[in-house]
Amino acid sequence: MNLRPNRAKEKLNAGEVAIVVGGFNSPDDIDAFGPTANANDIAGVWLEGEHAGVDASTLGNLTRACDLWGLTPVCRINENSQGLIYRTLDCGAQGIVVPHVNNAAEARNVVDGGKFPPIGKRGAYTSRQGHGVLNYMQVADDYSLLVILIEDIIAYQNLDEILEVDNIDVFFVAPSDFAASMGHTGDNGHPEVVETMNDAFRRIEAAGRNSGATCAESEIPRYLDLGAKFLLTSIGPWLSQGAASFMSNVNAHSK
Amino acid sequence: MPASIQKTIDQRISELGHATFTERDASANIIPNHVKSLQHVRQIQQSRNLATIRRSVAMSEIKLRPNRVKEKIYAGEVAVSVVGFTHPDDIDNFGPIANANGIDAVWLEGEHAGVDHANLGNLTRACDLWGLTPVVRINENSQGLIYRTLDCGAQAIAVPHVNTAAEAQNVVLGGKFPPIGRRGNYASRQGHGVPNYMELADDHSLLIVFIEDIIAYQNLDEILEVEHIDIFFVAPGDFAASMGHKGIWDQVANIPEVAETMEDTFRRIQAAGRIAGATCGKAGLQRYLDLGAKFFLTTTQEWLDDGAANFMSIVKSHTG
Repeated sequence: MNLRPNRAKEKLNAGEVAIVVGGFNSPDDIDAFGPTANANDIAGVWLEGEHAGVDASTLGNLTRACDLWGLTPVCRINENSQGLIYRTLDCGAQGIVVPHVNNAAEARNVVDGGKFPPIGKRGAYTSRQGHGVLNYMQVADDYSLLVILIEDIIAYQNLDEILEVDNIDVFFVAPSDFAASMGHTGDNGHPEVVETMNDAFRRIEAAGRNSGATCAESEIPRYLDLGAKFLLTSIGPWLSQGAASFMSNVNAHSK
Repeated sequence: MPASIQKTIDQRISELGHATFTERDASANIIPNHVKSLQHVRQIQQSRNLATIRRSVAMSEIKLRPNRVKEKIYAGEVAVSVVGFTHPDDIDNFGPIANANGIDAVWLEGEHAGVDHANLGNLTRACDLWGLTPVVRINENSQGLIYRTLDCGAQAIAVPHVNTAAEAQNVVLGGKFPPIGRRGNYASRQGHGVPNYMELADDHSLLIVFIEDIIAYQNLDEILEVEHIDIFFVAPGDFAASMGHKGIWDQVANIPEVAETMEDTFRRIQAAGRIAGATCGKAGLQRYLDLGAKFFLTTTQEWLDDGAANFMSIVKSHTG
């Protein structure tokens, strides 16, 4: 029995773009989304545990629904804690996203929690992903995906040293906290913010690392041009567009 | 409303007379006439639905998950299900053990325990991951309950206390789509992305009725004539109780009067060319295999009992 492939990681390693979709809180909804994701080559599902309710008690069911469709379960956690990182992997996540990583030491802490010795300090335990996989401990590090969020002007200042940390797969540049840290709370489009973020993307690519971005449909060209390989998008706009289109038809036909 | 539609509706009402099951429905050989007349309409509706699904998802090749128990019993092999799990993570953990030992199914207990529609998605998904057939025992012979349980992810339904052919036919009405039965039209969780789900579902779903009352024994011949029931499960606890012997299920099964009646039941099921199911631990296995049972329910309880006893005996032997 082999460890389930990590579709997002395979794509990144092959130089391809990996798309993950956020907005699901129920395993049944992920399951229902499965064929749509497969038909459209979506790589993963983003499970939100920095701000929303994803936790150790819900991760088994959420990630199992992802497993059924070969979607990489990527879980954002709410603290740069080694114990939280590896428990989240143990419960079934294939990718971990750690917010607010501002220096090389903090990035190394993510690696310490996310990889087994000798690379890191992940506690030895068979993850839910490891049921029946005889060589889980040997292959787990190759399969787990570590994402850190570059979302503070301090992280930008320390970007060169952060980019030297091995075993981080994606350096994800997130706009809202970035803008807030620059005194432009709520104004992600402020020219100063945009220029700083753009420079971060360019430096990540120049260092030979993968960058990630949170990306609405209209922003796809911008971020792909900046070299981003890992894109998070949300079902929110899809629902909005569908609802708007439907209701405009209703209104057009009911007058 | 067009007159032609109203006529169809009037015809349906006059032929059916009511919206719920009665013995009259059952005696009409399962397929009411109105279903035959509406069959063509249904087929058109289904093909339209399927065309929509195909278009929107640009389907690759998603197939309905195999029903391992159904495949085995119709290949003449023995299929084994295991009860004792109430959490999806525990089923997931058991998956590789089940696969390594050729176990076919997980029995999810909703006649007596907490399995319901709120947790069926997660429980059955854990079974799906390991190719184990999720068998759900429900607590009422209700068409709506039967098909909602299938919709939530069960691949097999076990209905307790089926005592007459009419009651067995009611199971079929809830478990199969028209024209065989009256299962409500909906893509089950098992049907996500499967373009031809409606066409295949009846072949994949497994229906089990419990023969567990002396009345069912009395009516066995007529029950065994009902088509589309896959397994006639002979359960000792209620069987014995209905004969006046209350007690633990595996003990009452050995009371001579009960044992004889059950054994005759097994023999008649086999003689009718139908498939019998039995529940037992390792002690009863040979007896039921000899009686021709092809489907088995066993429990993790005995394994835990044995494991704990063995472990503690070693502890004791090393601690004086």
